[in-house]
Amino acid sequence: MSSDINTIHPLETEGARLSIKKPALRYDRQGDMSDGQRVEAAMRTFVREFGATSAIYLESCIHCGMCAEACHYYVQTNDPRYTPVRKLEPFKQAYKREAGPFAFFYRLFNLKPRVTADELQKWQELIYDSCTMCGRCTLICPMGIDIARLVGQARHGMFQAGLVPHELWAVAERAEREGSPLGATPKVFKDRIDWLSDENAVEIPVDRDVADILVTMSSIEIMKYPQAIVATARVLNALGEKWTIRLDGYEATNFGMLSGNSQWQKDLSMKMINAAVRCKAKLLILPECGHAYGAMRWDGANVYGKPLPFEVLHISEFLARNLGNGRLKVRNVPKSVTFHDPCQIARRGGATQAPRQVLGKLGVDLHEMTPSGDGNWCCGGGGGVVTIHRADELRYKVFQIKMKQVDDSGAEMLVMSCSNCRQTFDDGQAHFKWDKTAHSLLELVADNLVQ
Amino acid sequence: MSKDDSIGESLRKQGISRRAFMKFCAATASLLALPPGMAAVMAETLSRARRPSVIYLSYQECTGCGESLTRSFSPTLENLMFNVMSLDYYETLQAAAGTAAEAARKTAMKENWGKYLLVVDGAVPVGHDGAYCTIAGESAVDILTEAAKGAAAVVSVGTCAAFGGIPHANPDPTGAVAVSRIVKDKPVVNVSGCPPVPEVITGVLAHYLTFGSIPELDHLGRPKVFFGETIHDRCYRRPFYDEGKFAKTFDDEGARNGWCLFELGCKGPVTYNACPTVKWNQGTSYPIQSGHGCLGCSEPDFWDKGSFYQALSTGTWSGGAVLGAAAVAGAAIGVGAAIVSRRRHAHSEKEKQS
Amino acid sequence: MNLLDFARGAVMKWSIAIFLFGMLWRLFGMLLLRRTHDYSEPRVHAAGLGALRSIIRRSWPRREFQARTAYGVTVSYVFHIGLAIIVFGFVPHILFIRNLVGVGWSGLPGGIIYFCAVITLVALVMAIVRRLTHPVLKLLSNFDDYFSWFVTAAPVVTGLLAAGHYGGRYEDLLAVHILSFELLLIWFPFGKLMHSVLLFLARGQTGAVYGRRGAST
Repeated sequence: MSSDINTIHPLETEGARLSIKKPALRYDRQGDMSDGQRVEAAMRTFVREFGATSAIYLESCIHCGMCAEACHYYVQTNDPRYTPVRKLEPFKQAYKREAGPFAFFYRLFNLKPRVTADELQKWQELIYDSCTMCGRCTLICPMGIDIARLVGQARHGMFQAGLVPHELWAVAERAEREGSPLGATPKVFKDRIDWLSDENAVEIPVDRDVADILVTMSSIEIMKYPQAIVATARVLNALGEKWTIRLDGYEATNFGMLSGNSQWQKDLSMKMINAAVRCKAKLLILPECGHAYGAMRWDGANVYGKPLPFEVLHISEFLARNLGNGRLKVRNVPKSVTFHDPCQIARRGGATQAPRQVLGKLGVDLHEMTPSGDGNWCCGGGGGVVTIHRADELRYKVFQIKMKQVDDSGAEMLVMSCSNCRQTFDDGQAHFKWDKTAHSLLELVADNLVQ
Repeated sequence: MSKDDSIGESLRKQGISRRAFMKFCAATASLLALPPGMAAVMAETLSRARRPSVIYLSYQECTGCGESLTRSFSPTLENLMFNVMSLDYYETLQAAAGTAAEAARKTAMKENWGKYLLVVDGAVPVGHDGAYCTIAGESAVDILTEAAKGAAAVVSVGTCAAFGGIPHANPDPTGAVAVSRIVKDKPVVNVSGCPPVPEVITGVLAHYLTFGSIPELDHLGRPKVFFGETIHDRCYRRPFYDEGKFAKTFDDEGARNGWCLFELGCKGPVTYNACPTVKWNQGTSYPIQSGHGCLGCSEPDFWDKGSFYQALSTGTWSGGAVLGAAAVAGAAIGVGAAIVSRRRHAHSEKEKQS
Repeated sequence: MNLLDFARGAVMKWSIAIFLFGMLWRLFGMLLLRRTHDYSEPRVHAAGLGALRSIIRRSWPRREFQARTAYGVTVSYVFHIGLAIIVFGFVPHILFIRNLVGVGWSGLPGGIIYFCAVITLVALVMAIVRRLTHPVLKLLSNFDDYFSWFVTAAPVVTGLLAAGHYGGRYEDLLAVHILSFELLLIWFPFGKLMHSVLLFLARGQTGAVYGRRGAST
């Protein structure tokens, strides 16, 4: 364990949301590069990122402004700066200069001046603080531009330029160095598992050499919602699965991806992939975490460079499958429930129906939010935004959409399948002294298992 | 009949009644769209006027204009010739030939110097010092230059004289030009058409003879009274254009129903002439009425504006090779740009690894 | 040679040449950039279907977005449909297309076209006023947006003027109309008008990605 991280960036593990403690002095510029070097590094990265897919997207925008109407930041503030596609402006500029079909002329006649470090610094807030990469803009765009994906790519350039918000950089670095962004090191995790299995009298197999199923966790669950570990164990034990948690690959969150460091993203993903390969797992179960789903289910194989030799399922998909085929039985839950769709799992992941099938088996009275499913509003905490202290005010503003949606649904219980959404809800609940508490779908199932 | 007789006198000598003369004047006045009272003025003027001398020169032409002129029914050419003007030189109609003919022209020019009306049909070739058209050993351009000096005004009859016409069309081997390119210091009236409507020719002559001046002209030197509106705007088939009903071939249902000929290449929308109003052959018909689109013959360069059967809204350019070359060049540069981008990418990838 | 001959001749040839040149340059320059293979196991195997669905579905915003986008979408629809009727319904335009590519069809009465042109022009004016006043659009807009609007509106205006013989002799108005369209052709490959081609590619791409994920496309 590296002690200097704890001195420089001590963790905040007590509040409703987990991050590092609010820095007294912000360092939103990392490293000691000159401005020129920062721009150079950002440009080099952009050029690397720009393939045909991004090119078509960047060439297609007709400046219709519709994406603003889908973005919770614009809708709640009416500030046109938050128009999603505008968040890409410096990167569009870089594309036109560096990679587009007319790039030569743009460079020759300086039609698009080179982006400056100050501009990039100014855009940091737009690329990180006010974008959760929730993808509603992608869904509304009449040209079908995947704006959220482009923001992800833009973050890569920002990281290389050393222009990441203080907290996000700190937790990402911690994840790279310790294996977990929030201090859930293998030792901490192992202690928790031992304590949880004693406390709850549940068997939690760790580091099996061979297993059919590799279970991964989110550090938010480990540090804040440890019952999720117990719930997962209960479900898998009830099914009689040969499963394991491995300390060489358990952390499913990927702050390398969120902060924009593709090398770190790869390092974090490869830990899990290698662990699954080592224990010959046929299935890797991802925890209740949104971006973990995108990082492994859809990006995992691409990081690996070939198809993954195992199946990847989100826990809600796993539950839906086993409730559907009757291997898992649950009691009826006579409650009205509303479900919050985590963006990366539903809209951007496609596993929109799985939680609804699970809720159906639980027999709850499902009150859908308006809108729901792939069109649902983001909680405002995704994309690493929840860790950034200076983004809090804005985050609370957009969270009010969520509160209204939940209140309007008239449901007694609020359920979701993402622990990051859940902590955002908890934090919002504490801030607004709201009467609604977020619950986990997994825990709801585990609590109502019929043995 | 003596040359010095006034028009009125000469008419009376021929036994033409005052009534018949008034009818001629009324018809000509209405043709020229003059106010009703002007017929009387015209009659008054013409009957007192001394018949002016008219010299009619023909160069690079097909005599179609002359044929047209002889078919004018109101006023008829005979009427003009015998009653209103003194046609002192016109190769096509005169009896004299050779030196006698040339002598007649020279005499008329001398006697009426500064007063005669010069009418020209046909273009004037200026290539090779005018060698392409010579009469009695003199080139057309020289004869015209000399004749114009003593003319009160010049009337260019037909598109060749007015704008160069067919002799001027590509590749124009003789360097044919319009009369107005040679005659710069005299008023020139362009009576264009291939040939012009007969009544338009005689009408312009009558106007000059009546008022001693040339009618109001458009920007191409054509009398506005006859060339003020397009064929299309005065065409009886215009309603079909507005309704979107078009003949698509010369023998389809649309053609039989008399629908608009735009699709068959009619140039009516950009052609200014009196065809739809005055018509031809004593008001019998005009090209569109007989089922063929307007060729635009009263407009400059009508011969070089693409096919007569190609719709006006299409291009008149040729050279698909240019387009092919542009496409190939575009594709090549596009591929090149992509290769450069890929190289820059590979380069930055390498830098990243080192 | 008068202005009309110039417009129908040399300018038309070169504007079409520049159009082809630019289109192929831009498309090749874009499409031949590096593409990465997606190794992830698709949830739905018909990626092509997702692409097709997206190409069709994105023509209209999803229900949850309709209320907030109704005005902009309606105005754009009006001028897009209007332009389509004018371009593909007016007989002289059809003849232009037939002469160029060999395919023709029957047209609509002039009255309908003139009516559509007026409506289209009104919608175009509404669109530009919105662009000049809406805070988001004001911020996003650049030279391309305004110039592309200009080259789109100009043929509509000049076409109406020519049809009504307003402001000059018909052949000159017609020439200006044709020249204004040629300006559009020349600008087309280099500005946002290219979206008429790119929309299929961009929508298709996103449709294929999210189609194979089983998400909404």
